Amino acid sequence: MPWNKSGITRLAVLLLLSLPALLIHSQTAPSSSPAPNQTPPQPASPSPPLILIDPAHGGADSGAALNAAFPEKDVTLVLARRLRQDLASHGMSAQLLRNGDNTLPLDQRAAMVNASHPALYLVIHATSQGSGIRLYSAMLPSGQSSRGPFLDWQTAQTSALAHSRSIQAQITTTLQKTGFPMRSLVAPLRPLNNLIVPAIAIEVAPTSADVSQLASSDYQETVCGDLANAFAATLPLLRTGP
Amino acid sequence: MIPRHLIAATALLLALAIAMGIYVAKLRRREAITPIPSRDEQHVTPPASGRTEQVTVWVARDDSGTLIPQSIVVPSSPEKQQRAEELLRGLLDFYVSKNSPHPLGAGAEIHDVYLVDPGLAVIDLNAAFADEHASGVLAEELTVVSMIQTLAANIPGLTRVKILVDGKDRDTLAGHVDLSSFYDVSQVSQLARQLSAQ
Repeated sequence: MPWNKSGITRLAVLLLLSLPALLIHSQTAPSSSPAPNQTPPQPASPSPPLILIDPAHGGADSGAALNAAFPEKDVTLVLARRLRQDLASHGMSAQLLRNGDNTLPLDQRAAMVNASHPALYLVIHATSQGSGIRLYSAMLPSGQSSRGPFLDWQTAQTSALAHSRSIQAQITTTLQKTGFPMRSLVAPLRPLNNLIVPAIAIEVAPTSADVSQLASSDYQETVCGDLANAFAATLPLLRTGP
Repeated sequence: MIPRHLIAATALLLALAIAMGIYVAKLRRREAITPIPSRDEQHVTPPASGRTEQVTVWVARDDSGTLIPQSIVVPSSPEKQQRAEELLRGLLDFYVSKNSPHPLGAGAEIHDVYLVDPGLAVIDLNAAFADEHASGVLAEELTVVSMIQTLAANIPGLTRVKILVDGKDRDTLAGHVDLSSFYDVSQVSQLARQLSAQ
């Protein structure tokens, strides 16, 4: 008997977790049925690939306490909103996974992303330690493997990992040219390993010892402007997919 | 008529009771003011009185965000499991020292290290280690990689590592780095080399 009780329960939980993502998808997906009496569509340039930006933490999960007035969850949300704007000004399509102070568990985030199938998932973190921008792709855990048609949850990123790292390398190359302090690494960071789409994480730190720089509009503008330029350079890679 | 000596004895007993009451109240107040030192407040390393050996530990540095291999002397133990614990306690001495390159919270301690064949190590941290840890992707990653790479560099045949907190599974170390799965030692070693080269 291939279906046991726990398997069905897991599937049901996954379906329930996917519902919000399906709602997002249904709001963003273009309508497939053309309206009657419409002229046949002219061949147009392909729509830009979707980048799904996830401001890490939120709600009950404040993330790191950068200072008393500014928890990590607020910094990530501000950076995410600004980056979405900057990407739009480059003609790219970007959406936020969280656009308010709501709690989103990691499993739910992963289910939403997998259901909406963006060209790239980008999670933003912020920290007081280090300097500049750090880029991460997934470091997958040991001893897990997919069975038959079912992907292992902890290593679902396997099939998209090479593409995630190509995008990471392209962004790194572009950012390094700006002279902005940056590093490129792998990290055991969820939900990156639970995603079936290309996925990277960004951790933004101040360039000085002053953590309040993260809240400065000028600094946010510099970081997001440089990131948006770097993402624009990855457009051909985003179009090809894993 | 109450005898005089009975009145005197009662008055004396009453005075004694009041004096004892005042003394007990004073003792209680003093106890409330003086904090009781936590059992885990300070990391204590037993003096290496017996045989010792030189090992390499991978020490995290927050200022540069790197790992630096460093030679230290630890008590030598023929038992693999005890040796693994000595290795990590030697590493922890760097992190809880006064001028720590990667400070951990007060009371951070490693309960135990279990070696399970084939090639699995289980590191059990105490709650203070995780609860008081600095929150951030790189800060947490440096801690985890330094511990795993220290074990891998000194214990041949290690392939997987699992990290527990107070003997239980925990989602993340301090909100970022995943502790729910098993670490692949070869991947961690590759990352350690990358972190030490930068």
